[in-house]
Amino acid sequence: MEHSEPVIEKPFETKELTISMGPQHPATHGVLRLVLDLDGENVVKCTPYVGYLHRGVEKLGENRTYLAALPLSDRLDYISSMNNNVGYVNAVEKLFGIEAPERAKYIRTMVAEMGRLSSHIIWLGTHVIDIGATTPFLLAMTERERILDLFEMLCGARLTVSYPRVGGVRNDISQEFLDELYEFILEFPHRIDDYETLVTENRIWKDRTVGVGIISAKEAVNWGLTGGMLRGSGIDYDVRKYVPYDAYDKVDFMIPVGKDPGDCYDRYKVRVEEMRQANRIIKQCVENLPAGPVMADAPKFTLPPKDLVLRDMEHLIHQFVLITKGPSVAEGEVYVGTEVPKGELGFYFVSDGTGKPYRMRVRAPSYVHASVLPRLCKGGYVADVIANIGTIDIVLGECDR
Amino acid sequence: MTSGKILKTVFFVEILKGLALTFRTLFKHPVTRRYPKVKVPAKAGFRGLHALARNAEGRMKCVGCGLCGAYCPSKCIHIYTSEGDDHAKIVDRYEIDVLRCIFCGFCVEACPFGAITLSEHYEYSETSRGAFYMTREKLLENWDKYFAGPKGERYFKEFWLPQSNTYSSYEGQAMFRGRAKGKE
Repeated sequence: MEHSEPVIEKPFETKELTISMGPQHPATHGVLRLVLDLDGENVVKCTPYVGYLHRGVEKLGENRTYLAALPLSDRLDYISSMNNNVGYVNAVEKLFGIEAPERAKYIRTMVAEMGRLSSHIIWLGTHVIDIGATTPFLLAMTERERILDLFEMLCGARLTVSYPRVGGVRNDISQEFLDELYEFILEFPHRIDDYETLVTENRIWKDRTVGVGIISAKEAVNWGLTGGMLRGSGIDYDVRKYVPYDAYDKVDFMIPVGKDPGDCYDRYKVRVEEMRQANRIIKQCVENLPAGPVMADAPKFTLPPKDLVLRDMEHLIHQFVLITKGPSVAEGEVYVGTEVPKGELGFYFVSDGTGKPYRMRVRAPSYVHASVLPRLCKGGYVADVIANIGTIDIVLGECDR
Repeated sequence: MTSGKILKTVFFVEILKGLALTFRTLFKHPVTRRYPKVKVPAKAGFRGLHALARNAEGRMKCVGCGLCGAYCPSKCIHIYTSEGDDHAKIVDRYEIDVLRCIFCGFCVEACPFGAITLSEHYEYSETSRGAFYMTREKLLENWDKYFAGPKGERYFKEFWLPQSNTYSSYEGQAMFRGRAKGKE
């Protein structure tokens, strides 16, 4: 019996492999599904599929009055629901033509920045744990817990707060809350130093993020990126600075920017600096908090104070009309963009003169940022896909709406 | 690359700094709450399981106006009323589908009689979905359980925090007063 060597007749070939990452993958931040075309370890093509968390928030908003649709905005970006509430009430206030009193504006600015802190903490923790470092995640969650405790003290809920109202805020803040918040913001910069000690100069972190997910300033603008994604590429666009709402024109803060073209590391630096700036804003709001009412004096649009409803006939009638019919609004349309932790969240309303919006449209930054993922991932490695998902900082609740 | 940078790279300076930080944390008090054993009490005005308030005579405060159901963003409150003798409105059924509820607290804000409340109770789990369809009797039972005594009277003050009592005057409003004593 003759034993022969196997003969290779044709040269060794590799084939492109198509794999599906998600929607249950823990590093895809919810239910993002990516279909990756791989050539070995290289990503040839990346196609995001969204919509697994679609709940029809925009359509639901059209079936509720302007006042009652507020809790829907909590469920967009559920880790910074305070910012979404603030965006919603600002848009509706512009449509109604009313303005919140000074104290309410300061409180809203304050709680919105707290929401920004809690969102950026989650972003930092999950971005870092996706890439492989567990310690900063556990460390960061401690601080987030304190912010959530403060939210609970403020309005009785930790995550889906529904605290701001059209024309102000639901209730005044307590002294206890203010004192505790001040203690927190004096201490928080040291915690940011801790995160930076662990992460910023770490060589593994730098290897994984520097030069990954590069996008130039021009491209970033063309893709419609906002928030940290745009500022990471060196453009200093921030809605809070350019179209100030609430009390942002009265506080002093800087817009941190990265360099052109920006990579994951630049965006990391920008967001960490944003946390410091948010801390500064909260500090100024607490220190300069003016006295006065927290609800606008606009009886046609805002619910009357509860103690008057319980004893006064006229206010009771107002309460009934506002809740069952909704406020009567002039016909027209309005778009208001606000700076949420993820980018620019816009609410667009078309009013047909009834108490319910004819059309409610949400411009969700996560949706726009998910669309840039193929551009960021192309040509990189599979491991960089995870870094890119972390850096675009999306929440699928907002992306799919 | 400067010599300082080379030294830092060779001696793992940034990694040792990070390790020192984690090592220091060993000597700090743990922040973890051992939840089922150690419970953190809910803050005042917490939005938990629903209850229907009783008045001083022990009867249900609700008159069946339906405002809570109209305002409810998730449409989980169902009220059925009928006309009784001398045209009085009678609440036949008052039901809340707790699994649909999003705990926004809008029903408490809407109610013109202070009849519906959200208690501080949040640890409810059952083995059937039906147990979460709260009927009037169950909701009144919740009131007896979670709002016994002065707690029920205090409820609305806590839900609205300081606002409702001093709405017209701004005295006693929370203002910045520096750091609290003893923490400086």
